[in-house]
Amino acid sequence: MERVARFTGIVARIGLWISGIGLVVMTAMIAAQVFFRYVLNNSLIWTEPGSIIVMGWFILLGAAVGIREGYHLSFEVLLYLLPDKVKLVLYSVSDLVVTAFGAGMVVYGWQLAAKTASVKLPSLGISGAWNFMPIIFGGALIVLFSLERLARRAAGLPTSRFGDAAEH
Amino acid sequence: ATACETTLRSSDTHPDGYPTVIAVQEMGKLLEERTDGRLCIEVFPSAQLGEEKDTIEQTQFGVIDMLRVSMGPFNNIIEETQVVSLPYIFRSVDHMHKVMDGPIGDEILEAFSDHDLVGLAFYDGGSRSFYNSEKPITSMEDLAGMKFRVMQSDIFVDMVSALGANATPLPYGEVYSSIQTGVIDGAENNWPSYESSGHFEVAKYYTLDEHLIVPEVLVMSKSTWDGLSAEDQEIVRQAAKDSVPMMRELWAEREKESEAKVIEAGAEVVTDIDKTPFIEAMKPVYEKHVTSDTLKDLVERIQATE
Amino acid sequence: MELWILFGSFAFLLLIGTPVAFCLGVSSFFTVLYMGLPPVVVFQRLNSGVSVFALMAIPFFIYAGELMVRGDIARRLVALAGAMVGHLKGGLGQVNILASCLFGGISGSAAADASAIGGLMIPQMEKRGYDTDYAVNVTVTSSIIALMLPPSHNLIIYSISAGGRLSIADLFTAGIVPGILLALSLMVAAWFVARSRGYPTEAFPGMRMLGALFVSAVPGLILVAIIFGGVRSGIFTASESSCIAVVYALLVTLVAYRSLKWRDFVEATLAAVRTTAMVLLVIGMAAAFGWLLAFLKVPASMVEFLQNFSDNPIVILLLINVSLLVLGTFMDMSPLIVITTPIFLPVAQAFGVDPVQFGIILILNLGIGLCTPPVGSVLFVGCAVGNIGIGQAMRTIWPFYFAAFGTLLLVTYVPALSLWLPAVFR
Ligand code: NA
Ligand code: NA
Repeated sequence: MERVARFTGIVARIGLWISGIGLVVMTAMIAAQVFFRYVLNNSLIWTEPGSIIVMGWFILLGAAVGIREGYHLSFEVLLYLLPDKVKLVLYSVSDLVVTAFGAGMVVYGWQLAAKTASVKLPSLGISGAWNFMPIIFGGALIVLFSLERLARRAAGLPTSRFGDAAEH
Repeated sequence: ATACETTLRSSDTHPDGYPTVIAVQEMGKLLEERTDGRLCIEVFPSAQLGEEKDTIEQTQFGVIDMLRVSMGPFNNIIEETQVVSLPYIFRSVDHMHKVMDGPIGDEILEAFSDHDLVGLAFYDGGSRSFYNSEKPITSMEDLAGMKFRVMQSDIFVDMVSALGANATPLPYGEVYSSIQTGVIDGAENNWPSYESSGHFEVAKYYTLDEHLIVPEVLVMSKSTWDGLSAEDQEIVRQAAKDSVPMMRELWAEREKESEAKVIEAGAEVVTDIDKTPFIEAMKPVYEKHVTSDTLKDLVERIQATE
Repeated sequence: MELWILFGSFAFLLLIGTPVAFCLGVSSFFTVLYMGLPPVVVFQRLNSGVSVFALMAIPFFIYAGELMVRGDIARRLVALAGAMVGHLKGGLGQVNILASCLFGGISGSAAADASAIGGLMIPQMEKRGYDTDYAVNVTVTSSIIALMLPPSHNLIIYSISAGGRLSIADLFTAGIVPGILLALSLMVAAWFVARSRGYPTEAFPGMRMLGALFVSAVPGLILVAIIFGGVRSGIFTASESSCIAVVYALLVTLVAYRSLKWRDFVEATLAAVRTTAMVLLVIGMAAAFGWLLAFLKVPASMVEFLQNFSDNPIVILLLINVSLLVLGTFMDMSPLIVITTPIFLPVAQAFGVDPVQFGIILILNLGIGLCTPPVGSVLFVGCAVGNIGIGQAMRTIWPFYFAAFGTLLLVTYVPALSLWLPAVFR
């Protein structure tokens, strides 16, 4: 388990860094868009669709890492009233449905990518399948991190709770 | 509509009461009569179920049954649809009607079937012209260096560049304030959109160059279509065709209303322009986009249609 | 039945502690499976929901805020506010509120305001003999101002939830008068409580000192001018202004102050990623949920139900406000905006309310919800910074709630408060 946790920790770190780089790239793209249009009077046409795709990556990878680090919004009022054993079962139910949803992102994201693969995106000239890559990769990471949570709990290790201030 | 056996869900980005929405609702009434209540249509207006690109995918996957949509978003999916998005391809609305009502239109409708869709009918989308906040545009020289918002489409971007202006893609919702503050000088659209978006309040010079006369299309999901009996398929196709004349009437009325309203509000319409240099400037756009034999053939036949 | 599955599984997952984003996504997934629709639609909506250009303003404004808090900007704003209103009754309470107005002009986050201003003000107030509960109450309620004064990324979320056709510039402008009104009514409340508790006032430091503090706060204040001036003069659009805010914050902290080290930069970036990925995932998932609501015709039924209930717009608006306040006590702001807008906006519009005004009502209402238990992230932040229990804060917060509710009622029933200024700028 320790080794698995070290591995997923590295994956999460990489995911978070890609997201961070995505945010910086987005900033550069939109700043360039304003600069070219206003200063050079020569509007860039690829920055808008391009930055939207970058945003998709940064949201879905960042959100997947949030599963591991526990920084999602949640609502845990009822849980305070329940005994610890019941709580652990409910946490596992929750992690299971999140796993299922992550799997759905991979499977159905793939279907969407396959359907749009032959479409060429306007202004970018790349395949429409690129639109759905963040869903597929984000989904895969959500499955990985949710399974890790289940495994950790089964092994009696703590998992970060949503709504807590996450420890980074 | 609750008494229906099967209710077909149809999406539209326009609001309730728009000619396209009414036309599909009317088609639904025809269907209900002709199938003794086996089939009817419920229209979801105002992009409730998603924007055009999204609802195209939903129709392909059979999530929704029908869709009224413009041809632009199909340009990168179905090659044949590109031909109607070529600037100045149609000389007039009448010319467009003749082409789309004839064998060429049928051919384009047929092309949808390779993409899990069934093309049912073409509706009117009016003709699009340039409007701006700066000056009345009467020649190509006037356009030079001006920034115009266009939809994200390679053909439209190339068209604006070929006219010597600056194509600036922007989200539709930001166009009004962007013209107002001067981020862009103008945009291009048909009379009803020019009016309903309020753009005439901030861009009062409308130059009737009619660079695009793009029909819209009514499609059905292939999986819904395959679930219908051959008899019902025929009824659906006929009802769609029968909704077209009424749609065109509603559209013409709506155009007139919008035109009157914006002129009343002080819009200045430039009608006496010589379009010849505009059309000539489109040569490189055609050279770049009309490359396949299919498209070349379609362009030739459309230009030959009287 | 579909609706029972949708709302039932949503409520169940919410109660067992599933992240709100996944409650929305999974309940939509279940419902679509039950209905036999192709499940791709849920994931397509998620994808389209996060692929909206205007959404970009949210990461940018949050990123800019992170950079500014890590730079020295918040502290300078507090110092300026202290010199301006410290000599009024309830001195440091008034300072706290004014600082929130200044900070609110550069940030759209109530939680950031509560932690930045609270972190600086609460210890100062305690030192000068103010009770901690008072300091926390002022901090918490005045941080709603950051949501009302532009820029406010929550108004962008609202504009997107309303179908993306509302002008963001109009919404931003519409929040100004209600935001100032809220500040004034909180200042009155702070004045009354301070008088009854006999809190001290500060000495006026003199015009020379005020000037010096103003100059030192100029970089922060200029950002407001840059954003507003840039948008109004057509250099960039309202949503692009958020990116300019990031570039500006980087320039000030890297070039002018040289206060931002590589490590601070990385930390600010990763912190912004964490916050925004969380918020934007909720928005993406809510796109799937909202699609099902439209598909199942919930908004239309809601309009019909309320029209049968009463034909009096005053009653309907009150009903909407109460529902939002109740929901707001249980849930966080951004998910509620995306969930309730498609339901309540058509109702409000059917009763003649302008969508821009409704946006301001919604934000103020849900902002109050951030300050109320059981789920009130801003209240939690304030109590954590002041190191007191929630119960302790709640016992004496009433005058401030009263001021906020009063403002809410005014904003609800006087459309001109929201609509006058955008009309002036048009
Ligand atoms: Na703000
Ligand atoms: Na404050």
